[in-house]
Amino acid sequence: MKKFEEDKELKNLITNMTPDSPGRDFSGKVMNRIFEMESVLEKLKRERIFGKGFWIITSLFIALMGTLIAISINGADGAESQLLKLLPNLNTGGVTQSYENIAEKITSLPLSIAGILLSSSFLVFIDHFLNKKINHKA
Amino acid sequence: MKYKGDSYYIEKVLEGKTNYFSYIVDRYQNIVFSIALKVLGNREDAEEMAQESFIKVYKSLHTFKGKAKFSTWIYRITYNNCISATRKKKHYFTSTDDVQIEDESQEMNLDGIPEENRATYIKTAIKKLPEDEYTLVLLYYFEEQSIEEVSKVAGLSESNTKVKLHRARKKLYKILHDMLQDELHTIL
Repeated sequence: MKKFEEDKELKNLITNMTPDSPGRDFSGKVMNRIFEMESVLEKLKRERIFGKGFWIITSLFIALMGTLIAISINGADGAESQLLKLLPNLNTGGVTQSYENIAEKITSLPLSIAGILLSSSFLVFIDHFLNKKINHKA
Repeated sequence: MKYKGDSYYIEKVLEGKTNYFSYIVDRYQNIVFSIALKVLGNREDAEEMAQESFIKVYKSLHTFKGKAKFSTWIYRITYNNCISATRKKKHYFTSTDDVQIEDESQEMNLDGIPEENRATYIKTAIKKLPEDEYTLVLLYYFEEQSIEEVSKVAGLSESNTKVKLHRARKKLYKILHDMLQDELHTIL
């Protein structure tokens, strides 16, 4: 018997055979699935979980917390003198007055209560933000 | 339109021109579908699996290094997908492992098959082979892949592939012989 490599007759016969083919528009179906997959990926790339607004508010919150900590450590006078060192020719009278008023009101509260208030408002904000996102997607 | 070669379309797809992937699908859909059909046994599952295989090919196209032929890579993904699917489903297919082949089986003259029915005969006979031998025969004889390429698709050693191809060819002759005998009995 011939070796399978030498069987040209069988090879010719098989080469002329028509293999099974899938249903109509098979490649269209595959491409549709690919395009669908691509568009979902694109959408996910475009839609960031946290938008610009979130990061601005978070930065402001962190800055505020930082200021509070700095005030509680150095006292309001220390913060003012440092600001004046940086900007010696600036007339800060009005701004300093209102700043002092706010700082006075904030520092008159115990720091722990201020922290709780700020944290809870932050959590309410996050909750509101996430709910908005979920409702938007649905 | 003439197919420009795998690397041309691969490059285009990787450049972000996704629609060029349809040329690859058109080029390989029949063999991918034939392998899936043989392994899974029904057209619906086979079409689904063929689609899945092409999507997998698309997703991992960037990992194709060109060390093997692109067709070998596609067929390997398809074959592996189908085998895993059958294992998951615990789907068993009919096998011709019980086909008795004699060590020194008589060489059959293929000219004995009526010319107008040859394509149908060979297609029917090949389909009676078990799925691994069917894939080997299809890739080696129909797709003209080398032993090395076929062995990569089937995940076998080259010597094992040769042995399996030898056995598959013998079985094929036996099946064709039996089919002709049956036909002859029907006529008489």
